[in-house]
Amino acid sequence: MNTSMSKHSPRDRVTGTPFTRGLGVVILAGITLLIILAIFVSPADVNQGESVRIMYAHVPGAWLAYLAFVVTGISSVAYLWKRTRSLTWDRIAGASAEVGVLFMGISLVTGSLWGRITWGTYWTWDARLTTTAFLFVTYIGYLAVRGLGGTHQQRARRSAVLALLAVLEIPLVHFSVQLWNTLHQEASVAGRGTDVEMDGLMLFTLFLGVVVFTLMYVWLVLHRQRSLALDDMLDDSGLDNALTARRAEAQGVAR
Amino acid sequence: MNQTGNDDEIGTSADSLDLSPRPVSARQRRKRRPWPAIIVLLLVVVSGGVVLTKFLTSAIDYYCNVDEIGAKSGCEPGRRLRIQGVVDEGTVKNDGVTTKFNMSFGGESLPVTYDGEPGGIFKECIPVVVHGILNDGVFLGDRVEVKHSNEYEAENPDRVDDEVATAEGTACLQ
Repeated sequence: MNTSMSKHSPRDRVTGTPFTRGLGVVILAGITLLIILAIFVSPADVNQGESVRIMYAHVPGAWLAYLAFVVTGISSVAYLWKRTRSLTWDRIAGASAEVGVLFMGISLVTGSLWGRITWGTYWTWDARLTTTAFLFVTYIGYLAVRGLGGTHQQRARRSAVLALLAVLEIPLVHFSVQLWNTLHQEASVAGRGTDVEMDGLMLFTLFLGVVVFTLMYVWLVLHRQRSLALDDMLDDSGLDNALTARRAEAQGVAR
Repeated sequence: MNQTGNDDEIGTSADSLDLSPRPVSARQRRKRRPWPAIIVLLLVVVSGGVVLTKFLTSAIDYYCNVDEIGAKSGCEPGRRLRIQGVVDEGTVKNDGVTTKFNMSFGGESLPVTYDGEPGGIFKECIPVVVHGILNDGVFLGDRVEVKHSNEYEAENPDRVDDEVATAEGTACLQ
């Protein structure tokens, strides 16, 4: 096809590796175990009844969104720092933000349903919900900024600066339930109390949920980061392709 | 990619190589002006503004506790309020149209009238946030939200009927 692509073997153009395939199998087993524990084994709550089971998707979703956005921030620092500058960091930042928005979406949707059942409303503008909505919108904006065009380096620099500002919102979201009067309850596990006010089996199921969601996050980011690298390669090949085409034309004329 | 190598190759065949600009296809032009990203960005800015406004007008100090009415700034009795308190045991009365109950917090109690049946996991001894207006010492609510705690306890089938032993019961005992 052309010189720049030919040095990459077809193996480089798939996003899976033996590691991600193995990880995928572990994740499927983990999801199965999580569903069994969350739906059937763990007990109903004394106040909330069966609706407490939504927690096992809602809380891991929110935590993994935080983690994803922190990874985006760290990768952005790694890109901006001259000694570690590499477009790979930029692509990890972008991939992580995309997956973070996905998990935040899961947390918002499950939280809304949970709120309808327990609070009696799908949505209200209390501090936790409002700051979360702001975080969600910010990272959609971050992804839009990544898509504004320009060179890969321009995209990387522009989005890295934005990521460093956006990550500052996370403490605000997390501590919103302590800073202000909110309808949303305070954190049960990572809250300010030393005692975890949760039934043991519920806590274990929640822990498993976090582990499974974390593995899903790793799997998704690895794949997405590689597919973004392929996108960039395709962009880079554009000029080469154009030159090859013109050269072929010129040879045709000369002949 | 070898930049110099490419330049040299172009140079050798420059006499016959046509490097004049060609008309770009609609697809390439779209790529140059990233309209989807620009539109999403505009929507983000607008919705970000809405969320920020909601934060400043609603989210900061979402509610006043019962004992803060008239005592804390923003909790003046004349204005529209959101009041938080625990539903008093044995006070919930529903005649099919309106629900009446007392809620208390910090030693103060407040009678509430709500047109309808509160949703969520509303019951006695649970903290609630009621939206409405204070009128002659009675709080006329038009929205009731249940503020459940961050404590999770397994439902024990052996004591479902034993009101006092459940978490709601202990909340009321405090």
